[in-house]
Amino acid sequence: MINESYSVTKDIELVKESLNGKNEAFGEIVKRYQKMVARTIKSMLGNSVFAEDIGQEVFIKLYYSLSEFRGEAKLSTYIQKIAVNLTLNEIKRRKRFFSMFSQKANNEMYEFEVADNNTEERNEASELVNKALMAMDPKFRIIVTMRMLQGYSTKETAEILDLPLGTVLSRLSRAQEQLRNILVKL
Amino acid sequence: MNLSEIKNLIISSLNADADPIEVSRILEEEGISYNFSKKFSDKILNKLFFAGLTIKREAEFVKYMNFAFYRVAVTGVAAIVVLLISIFLMEGSLSFNSFLGLSNGYNESIVCLLTGN
Repeated sequence: MINESYSVTKDIELVKESLNGKNEAFGEIVKRYQKMVARTIKSMLGNSVFAEDIGQEVFIKLYYSLSEFRGEAKLSTYIQKIAVNLTLNEIKRRKRFFSMFSQKANNEMYEFEVADNNTEERNEASELVNKALMAMDPKFRIIVTMRMLQGYSTKETAEILDLPLGTVLSRLSRAQEQLRNILVKL
Repeated sequence: MNLSEIKNLIISSLNADADPIEVSRILEEEGISYNFSKKFSDKILNKLFFAGLTIKREAEFVKYMNFAFYRVAVTGVAAIVVLLISIFLMEGSLSFNSFLGLSNGYNESIVCLLTGN
């Protein structure tokens, strides 16, 4: 379904082609960035059944907002912003949902997220990282995901999360402290 | 890499002077990777283009049906008008008998016509 001829095409060209109705060009964008989106969503939500739905929502939202993409920022940053926003919205939604049933909303939410992880074979290292991430506060988890798994610099993380650089630096330090405490117990 | 080394790597990845790209590469090599199902991109393209295409085709069919209805309706009205004019010209009025073609006939001649006497 995805045309191989687009595999070396630049992102901005792919966007233009997609806007001109070339479905294969958009298919190439999906192919190129699906792993990056999966990393953000699955590290934030766990390997839950909803992760793939949110992944699809990211690309569908991207498709309908392609005309707004000016090419000033990288396409990957643009996609990452959509993925982060949708993921954080989902976390808020889940938190509200679980808080209706229990005062220990957060703990139960994390248990729920970790529980559904049998769809992929996972090694010990992967289990360790997932458990550590799920035990973290979401506002620190997103910082760790951007930095540790996506490999973004502090500046890029600040840009994607729409946060001041100072806030990201302070959250990085607090996230490190929280992560250290969690990893001791694992 | 054993688990304690991975733990140290994870913690040090958040240092201000760490190289995040290198850390993410090492973690991926250690099997910490995330992906969607194999049919992920096909599902998106289906949702975007082929489900949309069906709706588009349905909308086009309704549009063509409306267009055809208007063409038939206009032609029908025109035919009725022509018929009325021709009846008026031939019969001299638009009475019910004129419509039935009986305006110039007499009752006796109709009886003769129907009975043959």
